[in-house]
Parts: sequence; C-alpha cells; structure tokens
Amino acid sequence: MSAPPTAAGRYVGERVLRKEDTRLLTGRSVFVDDVVVAGMLHAAFVRSQIARGKIKSMDLAAARLLPGVRAVLTAQDLGPYSTQLSTFHMRDVGGPRVRPLSVDYVTYVGDPVAIVIAESRYIAEDAAGLVLVDYEAEQPVVTIDDAKTGAPVHPAWESNVAAVDQTPDNPDFEKIFAGAAHVVTGAIKHQRIAQSTMETRGVLSTPHGENELTIHIGCQSPHAAARCISLTFGMPETHIRVIAKDVGGGFGLKSQPWREEIAAIAASMVLKRPVKWIEDRLEALTSSNAAREQECTVRMAFDGDAKLLGVDVEYAINNGAYPHMPDAGSAVRLFFPGPYRLRNFRFKGHGWHTNTVGLGGYRGPWAMEALARETVLDIAARRIGIDPIEIRRRNLLTAADQPFTTPTGIPMEDVTPLECLDQLLKVFDLGAFRAEQAAARAEGRYLGLGVATYVEPTAAVGIDPLWSDVAQIRIEQSGKVTATLSTHSQGHGTETTMAQIIAERLGVRLEDVSIHQDDSTRGGFGPGAAGSRQAVIGGGAAIKAADILVEKIKRIAAHVLNANPDDVRLEAGLVRVTGTEEVSRTMCEIAQIAYVEPHRLPADMEMGLEAQYRYRPSSYFTHASAAHACIVAIDAETGFVKIKRWICSEDCGVLINPAIVEGQIAGGVAQGIGEILLEEMSFDSSGNPTAVTFKDYMLPTEADVPDFEYIHITTPSKSVGGFRGVGEGGIIISAPTLVNAIKDALTPFNVSWEHIELPLTPSRIIKFMESVAA
Amino acid sequence: MSEHQIQTVINGQNVQARIEARLTLSDFLRVNVGYTGVHVGCEHGVCGACTVIVDGRAVRSCLMLAVQAEGATIITVEGLTPQDGALHPVQRALRDAHGLQCGFCTPGIVMTLAALTAGDERPSAETLINALSGHLCRCTGYQGMRRAVKALAAGELTERDHS
Amino acid sequence: MKPGPFDYVVPTTVEEAVEHLARAAGDATILAGGQTLMPLLALRMSTPSIIVDINRIDALKGVSRTDEAMRVGAMVRQYEVVESEHLKAALPMLAKAVSHIGHHQTRNRGTVGGSVSLGEPAAELPACVVALGASIEARSARGTRRIAADEFYLGAYSTVLEPDELVTAIYFPHWPTGTRTLFCEVARRPGDFALVGLVGALTVESGKISHAGIAWFGMAATPIKARRAEGALINQPISSVDAAAVANLAIADTDPFDDHAATADYRRTVALRVFSRSLRETMRQKA
Repeated sequence: MSAPPTAAGRYVGERVLRKEDTRLLTGRSVFVDDVVVAGMLHAAFVRSQIARGKIKSMDLAAARLLPGVRAVLTAQDLGPYSTQLSTFHMRDVGGPRVRPLSVDYVTYVGDPVAIVIAESRYIAEDAAGLVLVDYEAEQPVVTIDDAKTGAPVHPAWESNVAAVDQTPDNPDFEKIFAGAAHVVTGAIKHQRIAQSTMETRGVLSTPHGENELTIHIGCQSPHAAARCISLTFGMPETHIRVIAKDVGGGFGLKSQPWREEIAAIAASMVLKRPVKWIEDRLEALTSSNAAREQECTVRMAFDGDAKLLGVDVEYAINNGAYPHMPDAGSAVRLFFPGPYRLRNFRFKGHGWHTNTVGLGGYRGPWAMEALARETVLDIAARRIGIDPIEIRRRNLLTAADQPFTTPTGIPMEDVTPLECLDQLLKVFDLGAFRAEQAAARAEGRYLGLGVATYVEPTAAVGIDPLWSDVAQIRIEQSGKVTATLSTHSQGHGTETTMAQIIAERLGVRLEDVSIHQDDSTRGGFGPGAAGSRQAVIGGGAAIKAADILVEKIKRIAAHVLNANPDDVRLEAGLVRVTGTEEVSRTMCEIAQIAYVEPHRLPADMEMGLEAQYRYRPSSYFTHASAAHACIVAIDAETGFVKIKRWICSEDCGVLINPAIVEGQIAGGVAQGIGEILLEEMSFDSSGNPTAVTFKDYMLPTEADVPDFEYIHITTPSKSVGGFRGVGEGGIIISAPTLVNAIKDALTPFNVSWEHIELPLTPSRIIKFMESVAA
Repeated sequence: MSEHQIQTVINGQNVQARIEARLTLSDFLRVNVGYTGVHVGCEHGVCGACTVIVDGRAVRSCLMLAVQAEGATIITVEGLTPQDGALHPVQRALRDAHGLQCGFCTPGIVMTLAALTAGDERPSAETLINALSGHLCRCTGYQGMRRAVKALAAGELTERDHS
Repeated sequence: MKPGPFDYVVPTTVEEAVEHLARAAGDATILAGGQTLMPLLALRMSTPSIIVDINRIDALKGVSRTDEAMRVGAMVRQYEVVESEHLKAALPMLAKAVSHIGHHQTRNRGTVGGSVSLGEPAAELPACVVALGASIEARSARGTRRIAADEFYLGAYSTVLEPDELVTAIYFPHWPTGTRTLFCEVARRPGDFALVGLVGALTVESGKISHAGIAWFGMAATPIKARRAEGALINQPISSVDAAAVANLAIADTDPFDDHAATADYRRTVALRVFSRSLRETMRQKA
C-alpha cells in the first residue's frame, strides 16, 4: 500500500501516490493533440515510397485544388525555413545536412518531400495521395554490410562512414591475447527497434504577435525544444514559447524536434496560421528515427583463474540516412569495461549511413556494452568450466578496488554490483534451482537461469545541455508552495518526486506543493529527461533552492520569536522553536511577514520568499549498480520462452519514491524483453520497411512480463540528496539477463553462441534445439 | 462522400451531430464532442488506448465509424467521474497500485476494467487480466495494472474515493 | 491513418443490403464487426466507394436450431459465442475457437460471419467451418445459395463469394453425442495470428472413431482439411491410435509459408508436435 498523502512528514523514501495520476486517470490530461486553437489547420506529409533516388518532378496541382486544402508546400516553398535542423546537442555535431523537407533527392522510404496543410487530417491525407512524384530510383544501401561497399547514401560524401570511434592505438594489445589461457569470442547482431512511445510525435505551432511562436509539442524538455527551434530558425528564444504539459513517453525519440515537427512549424510561419501535425502509427513505425541496429564482436582474454586480461571490441551501428547525431559507439566504448577489474581494452567502432530512416535515441543508447559483455562473460564461464556467477565474483570491482579508473577513463567509485549480486542471491536459492533444472531436463523440460551485472552511468554530464537543472521555488502568501523546475516528465513522475523533496525540506504537506515544468518561458533552461539525470540534478536543484528558503524562513522566525535560527524547525506546515513547542508560526504567517510586513523582517533582509538554485553535480558520473536474474522455461514443443521469475537487485542511492523507481525499472525491463524476444523493425532489400503496424511490430503485452521482484540497496551518491539515476538501467541490464537465461536453458543442446542474432524468436530457438546431433 | 445525422448519448448527455461517414468514432468523440480523454495510439485496433464503452461493452473506438454510434450509449473516461470528483474504483485501484506513468494508454485500460466491473458479479482476476492483454503499455511493464486488477477482483475497493 | 472518402448506407433488411451490393457493381464493401475492415480503411488498403453496414439487419442475428444443424446468423457477435452456455454446449469447438480470436474488446464487435467470410489464413473460424463440415449461406439480388465450407476458400483472403453476395448465416451440422473437440493454437501473444492452429472433432462410438473432422489454420493460404488424417482415424479404436503416424498424414496436406512471424520449417515442425499431443489428449478425454 502507499503512504496517505496528508501526513506532513518524511516524504523522501516513501511510496507516495503520484500527483499527476488524478488528471491522467480522469481524462483531464493535456497531450499535444488535446490542444485546440482557433483557425487550426492540419498537416500530412508526402513521403518517398522509394529508398533512394532523385526527384525528377512533383505534380502538386490536383492536391492544391482539393477543397479544404490550404497549401501544399515543398522545401522551396518553405523559403528561409528550409534550414538545417538542430539536434539535442545544440551545436554542430557533424553529419549530413538535414532539412525539414528533402529538396531533390530522397534517401529513405518515408523521406518527407512535401507538407499538405488542410482543414482536417482526413483531407490532408486525401491531398497527399494526389501528389504525383516522379523519381529516378537508385539502388539503395540497406544493411550495414551494404553500406560498406555501396554507393554513398549522401552523394557529396566519399563513403558511407558516418563516424568512427576507437581507442588509441596500442601495438602491445594483441600480446595479451596471444599469451592468454583462454580467449573467448562472441558476436551479437541486434535488430532495429522502434521506440514506440504510446503517444506518437506531434506538434501544434501557433504564430502570433510580432514573429512569435507558441508551440505545443511532444518533447523531453520544453526548454530544450525551444532552444532547438531557436537555433534551427535563427529566432531568439525570447520569441518562442514551448508548452508540454503531458507527453506520452519519450525514451529519447522526442529529445529534439525533428524533420516533421520543424516542417510543421515552418509551415505555420509561412501561412501565418496555426498548424497541427500528429504523427500516425504508420509514420511512427516507418519514419521516426529508430534505434539499436548494431553488430558487435567481442573477444575476451582470461588468465588461468578466469580473470579478465583484456577485452577487444569491434562495433558497427546503422545510422540510417539522417541520424539525430552521427554515432560510432563512443558511449558503448566509454562504458564497455563496466564495473570490472579490466585494464586492457580495445574498441573500434564504425557508424554507417544507409538508405533507411535515421538513428534516433532510445533508452540507454549504449546498452550494447552490457548486452555484449555480459553474454560473452557467460560464454567464457562455460568454456572455462565455472559458474557464470563465479566468473563475475572473480572480476567485478569490490569496494576495496575503488576508486578505480577504467581503461576508458571512467571513474568507478561507490559502485556496488557485487553487493547487488550478493543481495540477490539471498532471495534466490541457486542450489535448489539447479536441482529443479536438472530434474526438469530429465523430463524434457528446459529451465534456464540468467544473471547479469552492470553499472549505469546516470546523470553523466559532459554532453553540453545536460550539466545542470534549475529550481525556482516560492512560498505563496497563503503558505503554499509553487516550484518551477527545469525537469520534465513523459511518465517519469517528476511532478511528484520533486514535490516530495521540496515538501520534505520545507516541512509542508505534499499536496501544498505545486510543481511546474511545462513551459519554456517559466523557470530556466534544462534538458529535461535524458541520461537518467533528473533525480540527481533536478533533485539537487530542488534541495538547494528549498534550503535557501529554509534558511530565510528560520531567520525570519528567529527574529519574530526572539530565538536562535539554529533552534528553528520546519514541520507540518509550521515553523517551531525547539524547546518551546507551543510557540510557533504557520508558514502562511511567515509568508505574510515576508511579503507585506517588511518592518518585521531582520533589518538586512530582502522581502519575499522566493529562491532559485541552479545545481551542477560535483561528480561527472553518478553510477547506479545492479544485478538481475531471471528464470525462463523454454517450451520444447514450440520454442516459446516463458519468463517465470525476475529479480532486480539495484543500488540507485537514496530513493525518492520506491514505487516510481520500480516503475522505471519495470518499464525498462519490459522493453528489454521486447528487444530479445519480440520486436523487430525490418526492411526488404529495396529498403521498404516491412513491420509497419503493431500486428507485425510486436510490443510486449501483459502476458509477456512476469511479476518483478525488487531489492533496493542504497549507497548514497556524492550529489546533494544522495540520489542516483535509474531511468535507463532496466532496459540495459535486462537484455543480457534474458539472453543468458535462454542460453542456460538450452545447455543440453550444445548450441554455439558465438553468433547471436536477435530477436530470439521461436523459429530461431527451435533451430537451436535441433542443433544437437541426433 | 455521404454525410449523416446521428444522435447518441455520450457520458449521459444527448449529442446530435452531422458528420461524414468516414469519421471514426474516436475522432468524433475527441474532436467533435471534445472528449480528449479518448486517446488515439495506433488507429488500427491493437493498442487499446482508444477504448470506450458502447452499450455496456468495451470497444476500440478507432474501429468504429461515428455513424455506427447512432442510437448508442457511450461512456468515455470523462464520464466515469461524477460532478463531485470522486474517483471510480478502477481509477482508484490504478492510482493506488502505481499503474500508470505517462498516462497515454491509461484511459483505455480504465474503460476496459470499468466495463467489466460494472455488473453485479465481480469478475475474476483472470477475466480482468485476460482483457488487459488487449492493451499495450510502453512505460510500466504492466506491474501496477496487475496489482490493480487483483485488488479489483478481490473487491478491495468498492466505495468511491474523494481524494 | 484516416480512411478515404466513401458513401455509407445502413440497410435494415437483407433485401436492401443485397440491392446496394448489386448496384455498386463490385465497388462496395460490407461492414460487419469492423475489426478487420477499419484498419484496412485507415491504411487506405481498402478504398470502396460505398460501405454497406449490416449491423442493423435483425435477420442476420441470432442462433437457431434445425433438425440438421445449428444456424448461426452472420451478425452473431463473437462475444455471444463465448458467453453463451447454450452455444458452448451446442458448438463446443466454436466456443473454444472464438475465445482465441483477438481480444475481449475486439470480440465485443467482431462477428462470426465476418471472420468466416474474410478467409484470413491464420484465423480460427474458417478452420472450424471446414473441420465441422459447415455450410455458408450467401444471398445476393440473384438469390440464395449454400456453399460447403470445403469449397468456400480459394486462397488468402479469397473466397468463392461474388462481390454482390452477403453471407447471411453459417450452418453447423449436428455431430453425434460422444464427439470430442481438439483445439490447439500456437501464437506469440494473446490475440495474435496463429503461427500454427488446429481444430478437430472426433466422434467416438463404442470405442471407435466414427466421424472425424480436422482442419489446420496458419498452415497454408486457406484452412486445410486434414483428409488423410481423417481417413486414417475413421473406424480406428480410439485407444490404439498411432498419434505420431496420423500427425505425419495431417502435415502432408499442408503448405505452410515463410512470413514475418515464422518460417515454414518452424510451422511444420511445431504442427507435427502439437497435432500428436492434441490427438493424444483427445484420446484420453472421458466420453
């Protein structure tokens, strides 16, 4: 059960019911498509039906004449607004020039070439269907392999290399492998994933006043969206207001407005009319930047004691035509060594352009590090002849090893994957399971146990926008609290978690704290949800800003009550002096003094009760640690994988709200299950997407996910508040946990796991089960 | 393209409208009538976010034409909460179990569970969970929803909650 | 994903409906439950100029019993089959199969006639009508005809129905007392298309199999009647059937394909296993 919302006591650490739930449950939420503006027009796109080719001509006449159509705009018609997009990084990160609408050349199926603006989406789609585009088709480059030898996707480029990332050359590296007692290799081919936020992308752009815009958009931060729009169009942020009250999932997809959103905004400025574009699911599954299409080969060298000597990684990622940012796995490289006692590491990564929709962010974009490392560790354990848990015991960093700097320069301190593993094993009887597994095998039933350990680099600053968050808190004259933060929620619950922090610090009731985070003209810049950062950084800002007010309130109360400020306590909405409990003032009374009775304030004190703090964590990284274990049963008849049990043992520092933490983990683990078993964005050899509805692109349902068990270890971080992030961890660690369980279940079948192709469909699993010699 | 006059009862109110045949029920409810609590997630009847109650049964409103609602009685999520703001037991169960995060899939789930728990007989947890399989959620991993379903099946929430 | 424009009519009699179909000369689409048609309209894969909504035709509703058969009206909703104790008793295979169609929410609108006449290769009801030897009543302005189920399906989503015909009812012949039901569906998630599906009815009289009706779904472009398997089962004592051998015969009639969901090899391998197991389970059922 959850704590009742009325007690004004400790909130941090409690399973407080979420403030946003009432409006979300009763249909009083405001998602972008819920906003209606007078004179609003609707957009639909004309999209390329081929993956690559020149546009020879476009016949827009019939479309333009259709009743109800206001305009059909091409790149040319957008004029100065047909401009280079800004990405989440808000600076030039290289990569191909990308405009809202393609000009004369298309590079993926779904590439938008014109925008139709009409009285309704229905009519806009009718008109889009009347546009005739004559293409001169070219042979597309679809897969990573194609990219290596195929004609450049971007004609001005020399090759399809989008980016390269590698460790510095070390001529002695191979010697480690030459002399090692064991060398184990594993390769993983990961399918492309569609983020599949339940609310698709969307924007409503309203131009008004003197060159001003009010924009409702699905985003991960109104401030970041405003900044991107400002950079894209060269308009001052002061003329842009972005509002995003409720957003139905982000997961990295909505970190920046991309081609279609910018095209719709541009159209609104050209036409001087409000324009709304709501992506439909077909577009989302084919034309939204997607994720995870990678190949990774890992070689691990061990000594005779199964201690890691060196790890060598080759990595490739499909960037598509227009990635949000060119990527060759730099984050995979940085985090691959993980929490292991590893000193020798080599990484070579390539990003490849192809004629497919571009690479986009998706929760834990570097997740391949854990997937590849943890699955190959398992392969190594079996090859060497020890238990997968034991190989981790021998190689994980202990407390005594820390602080430790990985070969990629990542500082490891206060990481506790070993402790997480130990706690997990307390609730899981390994011996009993192995006995059960053996008995089941004798009956032709295949149970498997998978374990994985990792650290998540949360609140990892260093990417320009991510450094800080700001909190502005004011105590109203009524004594209630208004806080405007640079955090943002697309399901994260920051309206509640930040309120918990503030209410606790100020000693007021949770329901008396209102959190605002939906308007770029309010508060200050923050990148919102990204990199599992908000508990640490937003939470830190909330604490620091609240503490400024606490200090001021104490001084006022001490002055009014003739006491020492050190003896003043804030609790239950009251301001009390220790030792004289009956002497107190309400927060309302203190606020009155601050705002309208200046003669009662200390002589040097400014009036009012408002405070602002912009917090930057002292650590570059705030690591969370975890160990997960799952048990699967593979149906010998059908190859279906049933997950019987899943234990999440994690250390995310001080928990603000355990229910919200568990929700973040659960959502991520479900996504990991989807990656391993179900989801696949596929293309045919002509670059046509072939999983274009939710019938073919299979998301996990209730039936696919077990009840999760959680163990929480709390090693406070060095950030104020002691929090650690947890947003992306579930999806990162779950993938290898599940793969390892499947491998364990299939042990009797002598499968070679040297090449793993995802997803592990029933067809693939049946093939594995047939691989035993008769 | 034909236009039609329809008359329906939506959330207890008589609604009359003249509409195009091809207008989906989900768009009608959201745009023409203003019940934006009906969410559109896929427009091909898989995700369940658009679920409403039509003549007592949970249906995917994206898979009906508005013209088909002629004479029907429809309830959307907005119709579950009476004037005094009390939460419906299904809403309360989901809130108490932390059964939502972004909230986009939520109204559909609320309506499926509300339809199944509307009668005198309390449905089993199994019936409710099976019906949940017709809903997609990307945020929660279905954990809280399952807990809410168990609480509903066990009859732990019968009184309306004024929180 | 908004539908293209169309005209819409909602007749209240079968006569009116078939009149519209005749006049449309092939450019009309029938709207029954809508669970399949609406997505096709949304994707603009179906762009009829007129939609004939048959939801208000009372003559298409309801179930009645004749001496030979159960007559199930085309507009009987799938939920009615699942929730009716009477239908569960009269048509146990149908009730079992329908409970696997889609989800609770889609069964609230989807119809028996709609699913039968669509001819989805991985759908349960087409296999049921083939297994049970049902017949499909279709009407047009030109008259009424009854089509045997095993002549009804031509290919994926393709039946012998003419564009001006409307399925009005399905007749399920009575099977004798002592009929056991086989049902097995292999699907990734609840409500998904079957990767492999099997329905069967076996009548056991005096310990011997006197009638057998078995059909696959998801194993070819149409439901496949497992004729050879049926033939091998007739007159066999139920207790001594060689399930594995019969399974091989049953597979021999199928023609599975590779698709997004599974390979043909997978389908054959799994079909063989589930057939043997289902048959053995049926053998063990109490009379």
